[in-house]
Amino acid sequence: MDLQRLKPHFPWITLLVLVAFVGMTDPNFLRPANLLSLAGDIVPLFIMALGLTFAIYIGGIDLSAQSMANMITVVASAYLASLGLWVAALCVVLGFGLGLLSGFITTRLFVPSFISTLAVGGVCFSAAQWLSGNRALNMDADQRDALFGWMIGRTGIIPNELFIAAALLAVCLFIERRTTLGRALKAVGAGELAAAASGLNVTRYKMLAFAVSGALAAIAGLLFSVKLSGGAPTIANGFLLPAIVAVLVGGTPLTGGVGGVLNTAIGTMIVAVIRASMLYFGVQATQQQMVFGLVLIVAIALTIDRSKLRTVK
Amino acid sequence: MSQLLDRDRLIRWAPLLVLVGLVILFALVNPAFLSQRNFARIAIAAAPALMVAIGVTFIIIMGSIDLSMEGTVGLTAVLFCFIFLATGGTLATGGWLAIPAILLVGALIGLVNGLIHVRLRIPSFMASLALGFVGTGAAVLLTGGNIVKIEDDTFRALLTWRIAGFPLMVYVVAVLTLLASFIQSYTTLGRNFYAVGGGEELAHASGLNVRRVRILGFVLAGVFYAVAGILQVAKLGQAESVSGANFMFISITSVVVGGVALWGGIGGVWNTVVGVLIVNVINNGMVVIGLPDYLQDGMLGLLVIVAVVLSTDRRSVSFVK
Amino acid sequence: MYQLRAVDKKFPGVHALKAVDFEIRRGEIVGLVGENGAGKSTLMKVIYGAYQPDAGTISVDGKSVRFQNPRQAMEKGIGMVFQEQSLIPNLTVMENIFLGYEQQFVRLGVINWQAMSSAARQQLAKVKLDIDPATVTSALSFAQRQLVELAKVLTLEERVDGDLVILLDEPTSVLAEDEVKMLFTIVRDLTKRASFIFVSHRMDEVMELSDRIYVMKDGAVVDVVAHGAATVGQIQHKMVGRSVDREYYREQRQKPYDAANVLLEMDGIALPGRIRDISLTLHAGEVLCLVGTEGAGREAILRTIYGMRTPVSGTLKIKGNVIRTFNPQAAVAAGVGYVPRERKVEGIVAGMTVYENMTLSQMGRYSRAGVLNVAAEKALARDWIARLSIKAHSEYADCGNLSGGNQQKVVLSKWRSGGSDIMLLDHPTRGLDIGAKEDVYEMIRDMSDDGVGVILVADTLEEAIGLSHSIIVLKDGTIQQRFDCKPGAKPTLYDLLHFMI
Repeated sequence: MDLQRLKPHFPWITLLVLVAFVGMTDPNFLRPANLLSLAGDIVPLFIMALGLTFAIYIGGIDLSAQSMANMITVVASAYLASLGLWVAALCVVLGFGLGLLSGFITTRLFVPSFISTLAVGGVCFSAAQWLSGNRALNMDADQRDALFGWMIGRTGIIPNELFIAAALLAVCLFIERRTTLGRALKAVGAGELAAAASGLNVTRYKMLAFAVSGALAAIAGLLFSVKLSGGAPTIANGFLLPAIVAVLVGGTPLTGGVGGVLNTAIGTMIVAVIRASMLYFGVQATQQQMVFGLVLIVAIALTIDRSKLRTVK
Repeated sequence: MSQLLDRDRLIRWAPLLVLVGLVILFALVNPAFLSQRNFARIAIAAAPALMVAIGVTFIIIMGSIDLSMEGTVGLTAVLFCFIFLATGGTLATGGWLAIPAILLVGALIGLVNGLIHVRLRIPSFMASLALGFVGTGAAVLLTGGNIVKIEDDTFRALLTWRIAGFPLMVYVVAVLTLLASFIQSYTTLGRNFYAVGGGEELAHASGLNVRRVRILGFVLAGVFYAVAGILQVAKLGQAESVSGANFMFISITSVVVGGVALWGGIGGVWNTVVGVLIVNVINNGMVVIGLPDYLQDGMLGLLVIVAVVLSTDRRSVSFVK
Repeated sequence: MYQLRAVDKKFPGVHALKAVDFEIRRGEIVGLVGENGAGKSTLMKVIYGAYQPDAGTISVDGKSVRFQNPRQAMEKGIGMVFQEQSLIPNLTVMENIFLGYEQQFVRLGVINWQAMSSAARQQLAKVKLDIDPATVTSALSFAQRQLVELAKVLTLEERVDGDLVILLDEPTSVLAEDEVKMLFTIVRDLTKRASFIFVSHRMDEVMELSDRIYVMKDGAVVDVVAHGAATVGQIQHKMVGRSVDREYYREQRQKPYDAANVLLEMDGIALPGRIRDISLTLHAGEVLCLVGTEGAGREAILRTIYGMRTPVSGTLKIKGNVIRTFNPQAAVAAGVGYVPRERKVEGIVAGMTVYENMTLSQMGRYSRAGVLNVAAEKALARDWIARLSIKAHSEYADCGNLSGGNQQKVVLSKWRSGGSDIMLLDHPTRGLDIGAKEDVYEMIRDMSDDGVGVILVADTLEEAIGLSHSIIVLKDGTIQQRFDCKPGAKPTLYDLLHFMI
């Protein structure tokens, strides 16, 4: 019974245990500056995972997030000179619009989101290749610093990315907990038929979930391109699976309706700590991926709340 | 009633019609598409992909999903090379031992996958995704990031020895596809996949050992991934940790395009064959008709959506996630 | 040959079976009747091994037995034909019949389809069903599936030494009249092979088919009636403990409706499929009951009004406005509320709290610019929890964990609090215990007093007659007859049945 009550807290307990564990091996890990820069480094991944949370929360998936971010790095780099600060708006609108398109294909054309988002991702990849001419683009350094420099500097010892992440998390948390959209998405994830029978416009809300996911993937791409001062069609590759893992480890299962953006914040940190810990434990580069996979299985086994899953598929 | 039957039949055959339509389309743009050499090219490209897709088909029929294929194919390909080289480096001198050994390895990986999923009650999506990392990681560890080459002419005959224009591996795949179809239709295990996918709780209530069926399903899938691993080596003459790259999304896409439902219970091996051919015909056709490189991913995505839309019975699904 | 002695079963808070004695002899058909919540389904679950009794003995042929699960009961020859379809739709008929027992047809790992097919044919012949065993189950009619289920259970005959006992749970609920007749003929014929326990809401059918009838009430067997020894009325009296009385359905609270205030009008509505030419009128304060067999079109009419189905012809007017776009959002905006039959699937969202469920249909009223006023939501929930005495620890309780009756109260308060004045109730008392049912009846009368128009699809004919101001009888998608149901001048069961089948 007590175990039951604890279950929802497993994700952050796992995180604390991991941090303490690494900290015991090397107290340097626990220095605030170290923890903060560790956190700062994963912000683009976190933002992408934040978006994915919405798609997974309604029981779908968004596999276009990585290609979306890739495309946005190209768009941001290509149009920074001509659009200035407005390029940020263009990126977000593009992300939102393409997310909406994924949502439309999923809900109106009855194509599973696994396929529809993958396909939209393919379209993004093509667009990125076309726009970039398959080269890496660079931003003008002065212009970048003038317009978006605030994104990547430091305030004291705190990386500015963390403020962006915190702000986005706050917005998403507000959407999830305090808005009709968040409530509707919860209802759709937990009981789509009941939501429909309550007169909710389920189709619209599902499309919005994919749109939010797309917009956040775009913001992740924008931040990434500012950080790297440029863009390329494959620059963000390798983000998608870790982002999905972050959502799942945080405790938002693929069945929907459970978990949320706060869980994803914890999940992203778990992923980051596992990765960083390999340095402290002296895991060889060639061993890292295998160790990551093994620790992941343990982490998932510990964090998911099986009482919410009726049948395990 | 007859109208209904026609409609059902049409939807059942829709993937095949899409395939035929695509072939005609590409052939009209460039008649060279229909050449025997080009068909052989498509077949070679499709051969390992089909083995992976058939493996995951069994899992999807059960209503589960398997994302471990990239790791499994990579690891089995690498291990195959190691064992092959260790046992003499040619088929004749004992290298053939590597084949059963690797099939066993594939089965073992599948077993571990199934056990993690069923025993630890972790949804298959997560369990297999994590195990995929482990597989790729193990392959990296074994190779140290290097490429392992095999230069045995007898083994490479899978690619080089052609009968009626098609290399040997295409015939191997054809035989294994027949075997998969046989397992699906004529064995208790194959039929039980459908029972689990069609109604897990009902199947359980009828006394079926659902957990055992699930685990065996992953074992079977693992064996087919291992075959794909061997074929990748035969095709490329080498293996590395990324030998399995890109199989995950493309194989699941093929399965769905062929008309296998992601929610389980519907479709089968032949749907997957058609699906894999559709995807490979699109890929090949875009090159043959000279579509610019950069447009190909987007075009593939669009055509896949069209194919899925055409073969979905919108009346039978209330909602899709 | 099969006996229960003083079987007792308790659940937290409920004494479900109280020292029940039950017996069935070889070749006998035993009826089992009782209201929902009387303990019928618990008793059946004990019989086929899904529940283990807390006290008492079960014996087969004089030998005491104890079943841990249904499979063990099956090995003793006790099989269950489920009310909800238990066949897997994507499998063929023969695969369903032998699911879990395929091994007998396997040679060297290969299934011999021919052998399975001919064995399946033998089983199907027992129930006189002449279909290809290789047919996919989803292609069969309900009646055919019912017979296939029966054939599946009859495979026990070959597997088990000794006698069979087969439970039939509401086997006729989805069948048409001639199909029922055919089923009964088959069952009578099969008494050579097995004994049957027949559970049904349709009293006339139970009386026709059964050799003896066990009458249950409040977890106890109150009487055992021999064939022909009692009338329907007498048995009902025993079931309810009083004649199906007017008080039970709050008939004394039935007041005439406001005939001048028309809330809803359907004129010549036809839907894809069989439903056609549906015309009806709902007034403020009226309870209008739709009566008919399963598939007669009752649910389809409700779903059309709620905008979940779009008619192909005819007009629907709500409060004088012709409805042109059919979707639930528009219906809700027009003041329609819908209490679906599948409460757990469509009624409530399990995993969401009471207050979240209550405002789900009216979030616009509890939000400004998309931002929810959670404090107001909680206040609303506390108010209705108190008003309807919903048993939930607080407004934070997960609706999935409430009892059926309390879930139903949450669904009803969702619509009532939103001000819906046209309520569509589909089997609102299904699966509720008697107390909870009476609460629902109270609420229906409250609604009438408030000028709400109610269209009801009732769980039983008695309920329909007791609650309604007017009754419309449907058959095969068309309206057969309309009855006025003024208190004291209500139609009888037979009046309705005459037009239903």
